Amino acid sequence: MSSAIDFQNSEDLAFFGKISASISHELKNILAIISETAGLLHDLTELATKGKDVELEMLKTCCQDIEDEIRRGFDTVKQMNTFAHSVDDALKSTNLADVINLTINLAGYLSFASKVRFDLQQDSPPMIFTCPFRLQNLIYQTLVYAFESAGTDGEIRVSVHQEPDGSARITFSNLGSESSRVFPSDMTKKIAESIGADIRFADDYLGIDILVSQLNQKRD
Amino acid sequence: MEAIMSMENNIKLLLVDDEVKFLESIAKRLALKNFDVTVASTGEEALTSAEKGLFDVAVVDFQMPGMDGTQVLKALKEKHKFLEIIMLTGHATIDTAVECTKLGAFKFLEKPYEFENLVEVIKEAYAARLNKKFEHNQKRIEEIQKLSMVESPLGLLRALARLDNEEK
Repeated sequence: MSSAIDFQNSEDLAFFGKISASISHELKNILAIISETAGLLHDLTELATKGKDVELEMLKTCCQDIEDEIRRGFDTVKQMNTFAHSVDDALKSTNLADVINLTINLAGYLSFASKVRFDLQQDSPPMIFTCPFRLQNLIYQTLVYAFESAGTDGEIRVSVHQEPDGSARITFSNLGSESSRVFPSDMTKKIAESIGADIRFADDYLGIDILVSQLNQKRD
Repeated sequence: MEAIMSMENNIKLLLVDDEVKFLESIAKRLALKNFDVTVASTGEEALTSAEKGLFDVAVVDFQMPGMDGTQVLKALKEKHKFLEIIMLTGHATIDTAVECTKLGAFKFLEKPYEFENLVEVIKEAYAARLNKKFEHNQKRIEEIQKLSMVESPLGLLRALARLDNEEK
């Protein structure tokens, strides 16, 4: 196996590990809230058993909080499942809107995540024949840089549209200037290169475009 | 005659976590146990609250947006040296535990934890705070006694002012 392939495989595994850890952290937070709220219900029940007045509103809030967190847990598990299946096919026709939405949600678990507004600028979502897993990694790395540059109070805008030649352009705008990190890193450049994508900064450095080509078209 | 207050009644707690629902639930549970609880959902808010109120123990989440747990720990310890701080984390690692201990954290608890265990750790932290304050006061008394033997009244006042400044 060539060292280039070894490098790609280890980066793929590192990304998979990082996302899995971040999802498990999110699930742990959800379980901690459910655990504390159930504990509060238990405490209130004990008080009521001892004949003390317990506010009905407090009980309602506890039940609502548990329901909300269970829903949040289901959403998180659904995202985890979609992410896990993104390695099923090395290359496939990929709905970019789905990939972007999933990656925005996954990046949202980061403690320093900014708000993100995603606009699909066309009626039908762009479809690209590519490696969905590596594209996720590329979008994720770009979002991490965008969060660092915009700060937690910032709001990143993401849009996507298909070009007439079949390629697609993913645009990240409203970035700030708070990050001193060099982007893209060598690793990110290699990921982009491996799927025929190109990363370009806007002239004012407050925006980034990722140009994604159809991999089968490139091969032709 | 008023009943003797339990230990919990005396403990002023500062809870810091960006997961607001977690913060609210735990605050209500601790309040039911008669702790005097104040909550903050950001590190910045925690520092402001600590300036306004004198807290015995703070329970601080490790991972938060903006100021993270270690930054809050460091800032609180710098300004409030007798405040005991318990760190909470979703995923404990040896490195983070060592870092927090070096910065003066009283203990490091991993979420989810047993609520009763948290209550016990808060009481231990409070007891440690009382001990530290007692030892500090003892040293201060000894220092004053020594000074009073050798200093003039004016010199003693100056020395006391210097001791006060050192404590700030």
